[in-house]
Amino acid sequence: MSSKLRFSSKRFLLTLMLCACSVILLQNYDLSPNASFTFNLICVASGLAICFVLFIPAIIIKSRTNLDFLTVAAVKTPRLKIPIAVFYSVYFIFTAEFFLLPYTDMFRKKYYYDVTPCLIAALLLITCVYAAIKGVNVITRFGIFLFAFAMLTNILMFGGSLGQMDFSLNTFELTGGFPDYIRNTLYFVTPAFIAVLFACLSGKTKNFRIRQTVFALIFTGVKYALVLFFIWFALGAYAQRQEYQTFLLSRAAHFSSFGGIESFYLALATMSVFMIISLMLCAVTKSVKRESDLKTVIIFVVILFAAHACGTYLNSVKEILTNTTVFVIFTAIAAAVIPSAYIFAGRKSNARKALHNITMS
Amino acid sequence: MNNSLSEILSELKADFRNSADLTIRDFTLKSKNNIKAALITIEGMCDKEQLAQSAINPIMSYDFGALDGEEAADKALSSVLASSDVTVFYTKAELITFITSGFAALLIDGAEKMFAIGVQGYSFRGVAEPESEVVQRGSREGFTEPLRVNMSLIRRRVKNPDLVFEQATVGSGSRTQLMLCYLQSRVSQKLLIKLRKRLKECDLDTVLASGYLSEYLEDKSSSRLFSGVGISERPDTVCGKLTEGRIAIIVDGSPAVIIVPRLFVEEFQGVDDYSNRTYYAAFIRVTKYLSFFLAVYLPGLYVALAQFHPEYFPTTILIKTSESLAQTPLPVTLEVLAITFVYEIMKEAGLRIPKSLGHAVSIVGALVIGESAVNAGIISSSTLMVVATAAICGYVTSPLYPPVTMLRFIYIIIGGIFGLWGIVLATAVMIISMCSKTSLGVPYMSSLAPFSLRTMRDVFVRADWKTLSKRIIRVQRFAETEVDE
Repeated sequence: MSSKLRFSSKRFLLTLMLCACSVILLQNYDLSPNASFTFNLICVASGLAICFVLFIPAIIIKSRTNLDFLTVAAVKTPRLKIPIAVFYSVYFIFTAEFFLLPYTDMFRKKYYYDVTPCLIAALLLITCVYAAIKGVNVITRFGIFLFAFAMLTNILMFGGSLGQMDFSLNTFELTGGFPDYIRNTLYFVTPAFIAVLFACLSGKTKNFRIRQTVFALIFTGVKYALVLFFIWFALGAYAQRQEYQTFLLSRAAHFSSFGGIESFYLALATMSVFMIISLMLCAVTKSVKRESDLKTVIIFVVILFAAHACGTYLNSVKEILTNTTVFVIFTAIAAAVIPSAYIFAGRKSNARKALHNITMS
Repeated sequence: MNNSLSEILSELKADFRNSADLTIRDFTLKSKNNIKAALITIEGMCDKEQLAQSAINPIMSYDFGALDGEEAADKALSSVLASSDVTVFYTKAELITFITSGFAALLIDGAEKMFAIGVQGYSFRGVAEPESEVVQRGSREGFTEPLRVNMSLIRRRVKNPDLVFEQATVGSGSRTQLMLCYLQSRVSQKLLIKLRKRLKECDLDTVLASGYLSEYLEDKSSSRLFSGVGISERPDTVCGKLTEGRIAIIVDGSPAVIIVPRLFVEEFQGVDDYSNRTYYAAFIRVTKYLSFFLAVYLPGLYVALAQFHPEYFPTTILIKTSESLAQTPLPVTLEVLAITFVYEIMKEAGLRIPKSLGHAVSIVGALVIGESAVNAGIISSSTLMVVATAAICGYVTSPLYPPVTMLRFIYIIIGGIFGLWGIVLATAVMIISMCSKTSLGVPYMSSLAPFSLRTMRDVFVRADWKTLSKRIIRVQRFAETEVDE
């Protein structure tokens, strides 16, 4: 659904915040076992501070031009259009896989043991095509419902875990070394992919304020801190060396004899991944074409599915596609290095004139 | 009227294929020039007494002296015709429209102008309470079939010159009259232009009910599962919508008045909400939303849980459900589908059969489909209870019944094949579809998505009248509309 209407920047950042929060939903215990809860809180703060730094180039571009980075790049350096498109296409496919692979893996291990991950991925991708065709504006409207549902799920998950809190097994002591700090901080930088999404998809948003970004990151941090807190003090040692701790938290949560909160977790994780991949498809089509069309979306979905199949059956591919360090480096280049280059280097008068014209139109 | 009277009359007879109901009363005016005249009506559509008093008696008794046809016509209009409703027209097409609408047409030989005299007197159903929109504390009046009566029902409630009725015709064959009704100072001009364009594009041959137009008024790229066109048979509801900048379309011959644009949240608002106490109105609203959720999801969730995740049932319910399901021959998905389908058949039968047979069908339905089928072990009692609950919940928001029924079937099938995961994914698609829908350029999910705190005072809860009256909501002021001003 291509529309000339601009939509609220606040709603777009709410959607991105939900995407950032979904990282912790699919947590696969990449955190250092030596680090304590308090130490991890510091890592969360550091990680999200780096996220904000990675957000700055996108914020500058948006504030100066009210356009998205891809449009600015196309106007300033028309010759580099293809390399830029290729780089961002690869990045968005990589990011989509970064979420899709753990999701299907979690699904197979925790819910339907005999299901083929590729079937799950195929069905999910088909539904994402529909959402991607409808456009970013509609996905952000979907984000409002997801936000309400996420609130409900979190209340159930945390409220149901209150009865199991045990502060005797773990303490608030600050333990952990510098390597632990680097490792954990790196993990908490992963939400920075929302900076790239913001840079590429914010062209049609209006009334942007920097504080919206700050609030989105603070809320993400609070969500991470709460999840870590409950994993630490409600699950305790049981969570150590286990996979998908947030899932375990939802499974352990219960109100009297009523459990089954993991079904809410499943719904939230599914909808979050659905939203992330749909946004990725929007972004990837935007990087090669200005408006999303069915043909382009389907081509990228086929590529995504092929990458997922490779990741599922080839362990080495999976390791690369789900590697946090590679992902963070890739994100840093996409969010900060390339946009910064355009901010500092692209100051030719004709490019500025063209940009001025497009901004005015 | 360029031709002579006799030519016009013979053309008219030919156009009507000498139809038996075309009544032509030709006579000669009392004048020195023996001017010929004719009164044309359609049998059964005029009040004969009124016609005699307002047209035939005065015109036949008046002495036109030495006036010619044109002058006689002017005289008739200014001094002779004793009707308050006289319209001057000039073409044969207008002549046909007027007489088929119940007017009497007066034609005077030698005069270019013709007169339509408002003496409609056809029989029609009286103003009565609409059966589909019953209220506890509201007006008992409902729209009826004649266009003019429906217009008067609105005008009586909005005594404001700002209220405009704009006439239009649709259907190349039926030439059905309709009225666009709106408040000039509150309606969006863009919305009005858009609506006129849609009606002009309507290429239907025959329009017999307002429902015929609904599809033409829907936005093209929008999903068609939910309707972006509202229907009401209540004048008070229509008047309420007009104050919010909406447009009503009254179609001649139909008691159902179209209201556009239509939003999702409106499906849960009722006239009684505004008469009841605030807390009770809020309670009813929440109940309606919950009922909608249960009507759509309950059978699907039941199938998904029973088939894939029985561990989510509390233990006592799990034991009883398992026992009940174990005694039935069909798998749970097929069982739920079958009962839901049988229920839909019974509902259709109940609507169509004569009232005298209704009780018999109810008894057969309750005993055969219900108790006997459970006792015979063909269906389980828990399944029957789930389907019955969903069916009852479906009627709480009756305008949403068609999409709710379709979604219920879809979720049962998806829940049976893919379990909870499938239902979640289908829900995501449904929400995306609803969020992308627009009704004449206004987002269908307005108030919720795009979210607006200002308009939320009449969504899940109804704020008190003091708050509601502070600022009147207008559809063109919702976020992201294409008809904003």
